[in-house]
Amino acid sequence: MSADFFEEEEFESKFDGKVFRRILSLTRPHLRWVIGFLICILIVSGLDSVFTYLGKSILDDGIIPGNRAALVNILILYLALSVVQSIAVFGFIYLAGVLGERIRYDLRRKMFNHLQQLSLAYYSRTPVGWIMSRVTSDSDRVADLVTWGMLDSTWALMNILTAMFFMLVINWRLALIVLAILPVLLFVAIQFRRRILGEYRNVRKFNSKITGAYNENITGVRVVKALGREPENMREFGALTSDMYRASYRAAWLSALFLPVVQIISSFALGAVVWYGGLQALYAGMTIGGIQAFVSYITFMMWPIQDLARVFAEIQQAIASAERMFSLIDAVPGVVDRPDAEDPGTIFGDIEFDQVSFAYEDEKPVISDLSFKVNKGETIALVGPTGGGKTTIVNLLCRFYEPKEGQIRINGRDYTRLTLRAIQSRVGIVLQTPHLFSGTIRENIRYGRLDASDQEIEEAARLVGAHEFIQKYEKGYDEEVGEGGNLLSVGQKQLISLARAVLAQPEIFIMDEATSSVDTLTEAMIQKGMQALMDRCTSFVIAHRLSTIKKADRILVIEDGRLQEAGSHKELLAKRGKYYQLYTQQFRSQMETSLEAMLVKSEVIGANE
Amino acid sequence: MAASIEKSYDLRNIISNNRLVGLWRMLTGYRGTFILANLSLGVSALAKTSTYLLLRYFVDNYFSESTHRIALPIIAAGFVLLAVVEGGFAFLSGRLAAFTAESVTRRLRNYLFDHIQHLSFTYHSKTQTGELIQRSTSDVDALRRFFSEQSVGAGRILFLFLVNFAALLYINVKLALLSIIVIPFVLITSLWFFKKISAAYENYQEQEATLSTTLQENLTGVRVVKAFARQTYEMDKFEKDNWEKFLRGKRLLKMHAFFWPLSDTLCNLQILSGYLIGALMAINNEISFGSYLAYAGLIVWIIFPLRNLGRLIVQMSTGMVSYTRVLEIIKQDREPLDEGDYLPENGIKGHLKFEEVGFTYQEGNIALENISFECLPGQVVALLGSTGSGKTTLVNLLPRFYDYTAGRILLDGVEINRYPRRILRREIGIVEQEPFLFSRSIAENITYGVGRNVTQDEIERAAKAAAIHDSIIKFEKGYHTLVGEKGVTLSGGQKQRVAIARTLLKNPRILILDDSTSAVDTETEAEIRDALRNLMKDRTTFIIAHRVQSIMDADLILVMDEGKIIQSGRHDELIQIPGVYQEIFNMQTRIEVELEKEIASVS
Repeated sequence: MSADFFEEEEFESKFDGKVFRRILSLTRPHLRWVIGFLICILIVSGLDSVFTYLGKSILDDGIIPGNRAALVNILILYLALSVVQSIAVFGFIYLAGVLGERIRYDLRRKMFNHLQQLSLAYYSRTPVGWIMSRVTSDSDRVADLVTWGMLDSTWALMNILTAMFFMLVINWRLALIVLAILPVLLFVAIQFRRRILGEYRNVRKFNSKITGAYNENITGVRVVKALGREPENMREFGALTSDMYRASYRAAWLSALFLPVVQIISSFALGAVVWYGGLQALYAGMTIGGIQAFVSYITFMMWPIQDLARVFAEIQQAIASAERMFSLIDAVPGVVDRPDAEDPGTIFGDIEFDQVSFAYEDEKPVISDLSFKVNKGETIALVGPTGGGKTTIVNLLCRFYEPKEGQIRINGRDYTRLTLRAIQSRVGIVLQTPHLFSGTIRENIRYGRLDASDQEIEEAARLVGAHEFIQKYEKGYDEEVGEGGNLLSVGQKQLISLARAVLAQPEIFIMDEATSSVDTLTEAMIQKGMQALMDRCTSFVIAHRLSTIKKADRILVIEDGRLQEAGSHKELLAKRGKYYQLYTQQFRSQMETSLEAMLVKSEVIGANE
Repeated sequence: MAASIEKSYDLRNIISNNRLVGLWRMLTGYRGTFILANLSLGVSALAKTSTYLLLRYFVDNYFSESTHRIALPIIAAGFVLLAVVEGGFAFLSGRLAAFTAESVTRRLRNYLFDHIQHLSFTYHSKTQTGELIQRSTSDVDALRRFFSEQSVGAGRILFLFLVNFAALLYINVKLALLSIIVIPFVLITSLWFFKKISAAYENYQEQEATLSTTLQENLTGVRVVKAFARQTYEMDKFEKDNWEKFLRGKRLLKMHAFFWPLSDTLCNLQILSGYLIGALMAINNEISFGSYLAYAGLIVWIIFPLRNLGRLIVQMSTGMVSYTRVLEIIKQDREPLDEGDYLPENGIKGHLKFEEVGFTYQEGNIALENISFECLPGQVVALLGSTGSGKTTLVNLLPRFYDYTAGRILLDGVEINRYPRRILRREIGIVEQEPFLFSRSIAENITYGVGRNVTQDEIERAAKAAAIHDSIIKFEKGYHTLVGEKGVTLSGGQKQRVAIARTLLKNPRILILDDSTSAVDTETEAEIRDALRNLMKDRTTFIIAHRVQSIMDADLILVMDEGKIIQSGRHDELIQIPGVYQEIFNMQTRIEVELEKEIASVS
């Protein structure tokens, strides 16, 4: 997939029969519904033409001969049929509409479930926004095509065909005149629709730019004010709204032109019919009712034409949408269970990296020839510069990715022979930027173990020191955390994600220590919570804080994807190598940058004295 | 078109308690076109009706013995001509309506954008970004549709009704009156239904938003989902939301499925009885065959469009709600940038004096109390204190982001609130801890707010002085590299240095610095320190201090707590006096000793 694959929001592609057939196959499980709404729409459409014909009969068989009985009969038939039509209208709206919703539902479910199987590699190369619009707007567009699109075009075609049929029956010569103008109408209409669609695409583009401009100016309002950028920003925004103005004005008047043009073209048919029909009335007995029927058929014809043109223009867009959607559904997960994979029941044990090498998609080696062994229950601190490969080691350990070369062994077994579930359900992970889900605090902690009781949840929260701040909320554990946990502070989110990991009772615990500043009290609590967890399992910490590093059983210094040094804090300090440098540097800078924290501490101390 | 000339009209004038009055005022400058758009619809409707009257003439004269006949080709041409008039004026109306709506919308968008960026900090800090954006986009669009589609659409239906009804009256009064009995019923049902439908639609949209949130959280939290092996759980969660959306969609469709055939039946009953009466009248020779024919055509154009009137009225009422929402922003007072009677002739020197300054928030929370100190041009003031001690509030008073509520601040001997905000902000540079960069190129970010043309050479010099040049040229596109989502993500330290370069170009007399650097490795820290030193040269500087270095060099240190200054002086003075500062410093020396001890112990 190239970079521009993700860029354009909408694009058109050539009509592809294969994709089209695949789109149609989406309706297969609901074939009855499709047949149902097609029958309904055929009834509606056919009756529309019949009604016009009945209108003719009222004149020719009722009014002109003065036959009241015939008139009443025709009107009763008319009424009966219009009741039938109403029922059919109910049928097609309900069937096609509900089917559309159902297909949307099917597609979204299919995509979502598939997304859960895809490996991290897919997520790292695919922007979230791109996936979102596949699941939302593209599924809408495709569902619309197989329901309303199919319905509208069937209605329109049927309408034109039956109208033609009745016109031929009434007067074949006049019908031929109408027939001649039909292709012109269709051609013009389709051309128009395409243009209009293109214009609206422009409008949407500018519209999202305008939203972006608002967003940036509001979130950056402090900088804007501080730099006195207001006039300049207004000028830029004015240019943008002028572009928007031009695009949407053009789109709007083009749309306004569409129906009048169709109407004027069909008025030529009307004129011809009147002219020729008038002559025929004089010499060949064209009836009044016949004239009325023709006038109705012709003036009504612009509606099916409009619908056909719309479906035609939109079909390409829908196919493009479908193609992208199918590309998501067809994406193959990179990390999957082997056929002979099994669940050993536990993964608590020694972990060994044996000559592991790894590269992400860009083929640049991130980890090369990495070997180390971790004993059951040890706490390992991973230290080293950013981009050195620490996060990759964690990714490999969780089996988000698998080694390109070498083996990772858990309890002596190559971990690719275990099921993904066996590993991932026993790993507890706390990320640098904690991710919470909308819902209550309780729900978020329970995410670690779904069958945990409320009491166990509270215990986990107490263990990491989150209980206190949770208690302070009015609703306690039932407090909503907001979208992505936005209502909580970073430190609080971290505590909750720790509690979540504790609750999961992991056998391997992984923590990417936060670098962002958390206030000192929370910081101390996080440390305490981590300790509680690390005592119980084999732990890996991407460490930034000296206290964490010092507490580790062993320290691995990772740089340039290689293991540079390994050993305990004392051993490594004595070595006076890379670790020594890192440590002393870190020590000084941490001291200098934590003045603020010191201030708080000294106040605490001062109060005690 | 004339549209390129922005019509200057202060949109604050649209504030009105009557929403219709407000909307009418919003049309100022475009009322003529708006009225013309509606009148064109009248002409168009007239042409449509005339078509049926011409048909009547044609039938009555060509299908009976008549002597005074207009020639067939002329009648045929008449049909075409009427279609051209009908279509032409429909188009004209569409175009004028689009012109009106788009022009009014553009003016509104521009006004809102400018208004928002001029609103005070107090407003911005208590208003959610999403809410503001929503009102500036969705609600503005609702207003656009109000003018371009809904009000004109309602006008069209009314004109169709009036003109066609007049024609019916002309054909036969009794028939005409009998033909509109059903109208109140149609209107009431359509209003009732569309109110329900619009509520159901909102309900459906809400679920759509919920579903999107669930999806987005799942996608952004993919590592968490995988790490806890919660795929099945997530699928169940999504399934629940997805199914709920299906159900709500079904409910919405059910309403549509009932409304349309029901109103069809209602309309058909009226029309068929009209046919019956008309036909009987024609048989009794009360009206001509042609009149019946015209009647049969016209009645359809009276009855069916009215079903849509209910929909339009309901939609227009949501447009009115949008008007109220937009108005809430417009009602806010702007921060007057040019207010102030003192214009320094030779620029600002940077001599600042705080005299018992205090600041209390509107809600009554005291943020600053009794702040007094003085600093000379070019001096460095370091502010030290924990979060919430009032450091940020103090510096926010300088560019008049907030105005102090007690005491006074003198700048070069003149009280600061006599300076126009624009001048103060031009002379004050701010470098934040994690500065906000805009999604433009790095070069544009550096020149952002400089307010003059800057050569590439100047940009590079500033970047070099800010120690960011080397990082920039490592990017493929160099200075043209885009920042943000569509380009590169800069680290906190890199962002800060871009902001330093920007401030160097701006060349302010007073500087506000937040010198903390989170997670910067030591090499870059030294670079940043150099960059800062370059920046602070000859400027009065306020540092929100996190580093020992910047404190030791300061001319004045203010230790703050709970909005008050608890200690002040130079480093060498403060270190002598027992107090918070001394304790902090002693603790640090202790740590240094500790490190040395530790290293010594292992070797």
